[in-house]
Amino acid sequence: MTIPNHNPNVAGESDGIGFRTGKGRSIAQHGELFQGQIEDENHQLRRCLMSLPCKALYAEADFVPDTSGTFVVTPSYKSKVKKAAELTREHLKLPHLGGTIKVESTIPEAKGYGSSTADCIAAARSIADAVGHTWSEEQLAQLVVQAEVASDNFMFSRAVLFAHREGVVLEDYAQHLPKLEVIGVDTSEDSYVDTLEHPPARYSWRQLQSFRTLTGALRRAIRLGDVRLLGRVATASAVINEHFLPKPKFREVLRTVESVGALGVAVAHSGTVMGVLFDPQDQELDRKSEQLGKGLRRLGVSDVRRFQT
Amino acid sequence: MSISDTHEVHSAILNLYRSRLVPVGGHVTAAVFPFMKIFPADFCLRRARAEQRIDSRSVIIETSSGNMALGLAIVCKLYGFCLTIVSDYACDGFLRRRLEDLGARVEIVPAPAAVGGYQQARLDRLNEIRAESKDYWWLNQYANPANPGSYGSFAAQLVEGVGHIDCLVGTVGSGGSLCGTAGFLRELFPEMTTVAVDTFGSVLFGQAEEPRKIRGMGNSILPVNLDHSAIDEVHWVSAAEAYKATRKLHQQTSLFCGGTSGAAWMVARHWAVKNPRARVVCIFPDDGYRYTETIYNDEYLWNERLWLPELPASPRIVEHPLDAGPGWSCMQWGRRSYVDIVKPAMQAAAVR
Repeated sequence: MTIPNHNPNVAGESDGIGFRTGKGRSIAQHGELFQGQIEDENHQLRRCLMSLPCKALYAEADFVPDTSGTFVVTPSYKSKVKKAAELTREHLKLPHLGGTIKVESTIPEAKGYGSSTADCIAAARSIADAVGHTWSEEQLAQLVVQAEVASDNFMFSRAVLFAHREGVVLEDYAQHLPKLEVIGVDTSEDSYVDTLEHPPARYSWRQLQSFRTLTGALRRAIRLGDVRLLGRVATASAVINEHFLPKPKFREVLRTVESVGALGVAVAHSGTVMGVLFDPQDQELDRKSEQLGKGLRRLGVSDVRRFQT
Repeated sequence: MSISDTHEVHSAILNLYRSRLVPVGGHVTAAVFPFMKIFPADFCLRRARAEQRIDSRSVIIETSSGNMALGLAIVCKLYGFCLTIVSDYACDGFLRRRLEDLGARVEIVPAPAAVGGYQQARLDRLNEIRAESKDYWWLNQYANPANPGSYGSFAAQLVEGVGHIDCLVGTVGSGGSLCGTAGFLRELFPEMTTVAVDTFGSVLFGQAEEPRKIRGMGNSILPVNLDHSAIDEVHWVSAAEAYKATRKLHQQTSLFCGGTSGAAWMVARHWAVKNPRARVVCIFPDDGYRYTETIYNDEYLWNERLWLPELPASPRIVEHPLDAGPGWSCMQWGRRSYVDIVKPAMQAAAVR
């Protein structure tokens, strides 16, 4: 491998692979449309989730390669980025690869937006970009799980039911999620959740049976683009999981959501944020979102962003 | 057969009995089961195993006059458990032979109890047998939460096939299928209307106990698994009306089902006409083979005074369960408790 010259934009040469600076990017999520546990075809229980993708938030990584064999990450506290970089190096079979990775992110941390997943994806993509490699979504999922134990699934552009602690797709819906308009709220602006310190939910047998109904509904909702049904699934999943990580004012927010006629609410199953779901084609969208805003302010909950999936 | 080498066989056999969704006209979808009860039977056993309430020594025992017995006989055979069924005169020769062919021991109680009819007599005999050994495990379909809890997959099938469901109609015997399915569907559709179909002389919705001709719906005792607060509307139909509806269902659609299916269909059809934009699902719990000599035999119907020239066009609307009858009647139950409705109804009746 040749050391890149002082102009970082000029490709170096080695075995025909060009080295240059690389850029990588990842969107984030706004909580999950579904989180639970299902029985696979071998009757094994698999934990899984479906992220609610959020393009309004993103992480970007800039990678300047060298042959030092060491990665230097800025900001330095992002240890998972370093791990992701090392795993990338292993995958690419470039043992001497090192360099600096600068990560810039608009994603608030420990809230349920998937900031560390986004950081890892951005970093891995930036390194791959530098060497002219492209990750498959499945490979990225594996990498993130190895870097940080659990991953969100927004590296997939299509809708999937994702085993987040294994990094594999359990069910591939082979099409995109239908478009949703989301008004995001943070139920607790000054509290944070550490995903990994929080133990995985121990679902009762009755809840496991409920997940069958919900995943059946998911399949139909995605296949037919039925946003109303999708909203119902998200709300039902939020209600079940509320037992395990209660959110402040959850019931009150839910009542407000229902009273304004929104489709439902997707919560961060290990976080504090909630996304109120609307149909972007809804003629009364503006009136409903205004009503929602008023209702939320009465509860002391602030809406923090609005986006479309 | 041991479980590990028959997992595939087990799943394949259960799959034979899964419902198929069939539109039956008037925007009603029927979930047509060849034989629904095998699913709660299977699930209750799996839960019992998971909770270590049963092991290889266990003898499963239950009282049933029909489908639950057969469902249990099949799954006990698949799991390798011994089974004792306590039944009565309603267990016809063909069913008894099938149960015994599958290795079940069948006990027939000869006479009804003074209070609680044959249901109570069967329970008494069951408790006698249980007392003989610690190895007996009573499935207890009327109170076992795994009974209604077994309907998650069925609810999944309904949502996946139909989408939003505005109304679910089903007959009630143990409360398992209707309250179970409604419980799962309401997690997605809390506003869904649940309509229970009962029969005269059944105590489930506040009538006084009387001998009943129709099996598989109605009850002489109040099962814990019947969650009255889940029920929006109750219909009472006579055996004759249920059988007439079952025949009409066959004549109009060729669907060959048992009496409880006809009962559910006539009510679902009516509800759909009154609510033209709603998506209605009704449950057809079994097929018609056990009833070829009865429901599907005009001579039998005539001799038993169960033959009707025509169904009523619509039900009588009543305010109290005790006002229901002699033919198809209905009442807004309004998700209230049994006590809330039955107590005032009984007081009103006492005054009259």
